[in-house]
Amino acid sequence: MNVSDLQTVATNVVLYLALACFLVVAARNVISVFQLIVAAWVFATRIRPGKNSVELWQRYGDLALPVSVIAPAFNEELSIVNSVKALLALEYPHHEVIVVNDGSKDDTLGTLIRDFDMEACNRTQIATLQKTAILGTWRSRRYPNLLVIDKENGRKADAANAGIGFARTPLVCVIDADSIIESDGLLRAAEPFMHDNGQLMAVGGTIRIANGCEIEGGSIRKIGVAKALVPRFQIVEYLRAFLSCRVANAHTNTLMLISGAFGMFRRDALIEIGGYRHDTVGEDLELVVRIHRHMREQRRKYAIKFVPDVVCWTEAPANLAGLKGQRARWQQGALETLQRHRRMIFNPRYGRIGMIGMPQLILEDVIGPPSEILGYFVVPAAILMGVLEPIMALAFLGLTVLFGTGLSLGSLALEEVQLRRTPTARDLFRIGEAALIENFGFRQVNLLYRLRGIRSFFRSETRWEGVPRAGFGKPDL
Amino acid sequence: MIAVHILWISAAMASGMAALFGVLLFRRWREEAKARKAGHVLAAITRSYLRRVAGQLDNEASPAWTVDQRLAVVSHIRLLLRGGERDRLMQMAELDGLLRATLRKSRSWRAARRVDTIRQLQQFGSEACIARLREIFTSDRVGAVRLEAAFALASIKALPPPRETIRILGMFQRKSTRLDSALLRSSAPHYVDQLNLLLADPLPHAKRALIIDALGWSEDPSVLPTLERASRTDNPELRSAALRAAAKLGHPSAAEWVIGLLSDPVAFVRIQAVNSCAALGLRDAIPDLHRLMEDQDIWVRLRSEQALDVLEYEWPSDGLKGLVA
Repeated sequence: MNVSDLQTVATNVVLYLALACFLVVAARNVISVFQLIVAAWVFATRIRPGKNSVELWQRYGDLALPVSVIAPAFNEELSIVNSVKALLALEYPHHEVIVVNDGSKDDTLGTLIRDFDMEACNRTQIATLQKTAILGTWRSRRYPNLLVIDKENGRKADAANAGIGFARTPLVCVIDADSIIESDGLLRAAEPFMHDNGQLMAVGGTIRIANGCEIEGGSIRKIGVAKALVPRFQIVEYLRAFLSCRVANAHTNTLMLISGAFGMFRRDALIEIGGYRHDTVGEDLELVVRIHRHMREQRRKYAIKFVPDVVCWTEAPANLAGLKGQRARWQQGALETLQRHRRMIFNPRYGRIGMIGMPQLILEDVIGPPSEILGYFVVPAAILMGVLEPIMALAFLGLTVLFGTGLSLGSLALEEVQLRRTPTARDLFRIGEAALIENFGFRQVNLLYRLRGIRSFFRSETRWEGVPRAGFGKPDL
Repeated sequence: MIAVHILWISAAMASGMAALFGVLLFRRWREEAKARKAGHVLAAITRSYLRRVAGQLDNEASPAWTVDQRLAVVSHIRLLLRGGERDRLMQMAELDGLLRATLRKSRSWRAARRVDTIRQLQQFGSEACIARLREIFTSDRVGAVRLEAAFALASIKALPPPRETIRILGMFQRKSTRLDSALLRSSAPHYVDQLNLLLADPLPHAKRALIIDALGWSEDPSVLPTLERASRTDNPELRSAALRAAAKLGHPSAAEWVIGLLSDPVAFVRIQAVNSCAALGLRDAIPDLHRLMEDQDIWVRLRSEQALDVLEYEWPSDGLKGLVA
């Protein structure tokens, strides 16, 4: 093979790579547009839930199934009292709060015991799903619906499993330590279970970013939008993910993810499948995929639904350093899930999940991010080599930047028309501004973080990289 | 050529969305600007209605107030008023023609809009509203809307007799949900006799259990013999429903057969019996509950533990004890 042949091969490789990247990005965009249209249709035709908690309570107070809210806590000494008080104050007819102290090194347990007047009790564990030892159970003399489980340190999945094992209610709601649940969030999330005839396994809800909001006593006092750009970019991302992607996926029965920050599940379904897995960093995605797999393998009718209303607020990483670990972890978790359930991919036995849901995950999480990054290099290279027209570079940018902006603004429009949780026109403008800017740098950086997650996956890293958070109550998050 | 098309499509998509977003942003900005002025108007409308409700002279009313503004105020202050005052407020709203607009909207082609108006009609609760709600309940083409109308009627105690409700919603032709159960329960105080008559029909056990369960919400102790008979049937669903109903009725005369069912051969009936003992405060059941702490079914053991908590534990207040029960 001479130099000329090598050049021809290299040129062809670059050309085909460029075209492949182009196709992948275009396919992602077609799916996103479809999702946006479906979400707009769902919002336009949906029967809205009650406007306020009073109305919800009047309608569903007698119907709501009892719920156990499982809150894993690790080194939360400073915030645990406010968080638990906020959970106890949630508007719901019958709910129990199960705090799982996951081997905290600080005085989380002592704080709980003192502030909630707790005494040791011998609560029976119904199912042992956790891998670590339970050190004790405590109940409050003042709040009969509060239980604290003290256990050795595991990870969030292990703590949540311990809580699920102690829950006695038909429904469990698993949240993150830093989740702030809307006062009527449980009622809203439980609503689909009231219409259910026994097939509904889980319900997810929209999660919004709490950075910039005024938080007092573990509850949102005033909704706000952070001044810093990184949290604002994430608001746009969350709106896109929840209001467009998940609403559409739920409508087409292909919902693959219920966020770890807030998810309501049928307790017996979780126990039946063995709870969260401990050996993945994306346990929330893996759990939902496993529910799908389990139910379809057993040929049982089931449903997993999504409530578009905001049920929960969460603190997002305030800077790129925090974001890096989080996004890499999400990416790694998605790949681990895909690897573990690879049998489902394009397998008609798993219906829409195998034929649509899993391939979509592959497109979004396996080939999507590297293709876009690669495209930024190979498309210009192909143009320099003279095998592609310069207009192709513009078209590629159009597909990424222009389309991305359009999709983000479309999701924002959905939010404004349907939910209206952005407090003022000024805040709406600032989110819109972020939707424009995010395509020039943030989007690409995010893709690099995801590549890092792909690298961690191939190295089989099991290290949990904590996401540094500024904490609620600090100014200008 | 394709590249040019892609570029155009991308640009068109982005421009379209940007334009839509711009319109929504402008709309929000205008609404906020208006809201600052509208605050005074809404306060004036509120004062006006409160004066009229109290029977005082109102010379602040203005024909410039729109139906939407008045409806917003009425919906808000309705939550703050009680009893006769609330009824008078809704009468004023009807006199002001607010009901006309709502009734018109209830014929919208969009199911979601019809549901919104059902909720408003429920607030008014007058004869005209009940008539329209019944019309929606019987003839709307969307099941979810009919169900919503049923709930509205139930909340204003105007639900038709249970046999009609069951027929219209096709309750016995499909798997039952908690909403079906709730509707029958809300009918129970007004239609005890009709529910009893329904029990004479040849029904599947699951549907019969729904009726038995609803009888517990009748607030009428005369249903206790029916419940006791149901507690002696061969079907565990019926026995369990009878226990639930007895617990809700809270009448002590059910104690004997409720305690008897603690020895039922079916685990979920024993669980319900344990729950009922706790709800009825049957301290005579304590020895049996201790025995059930050794039951082979974990849920029977757990519920017994909880029931003993309620019956034996010294809770600081009855309120807390009630919460646990």
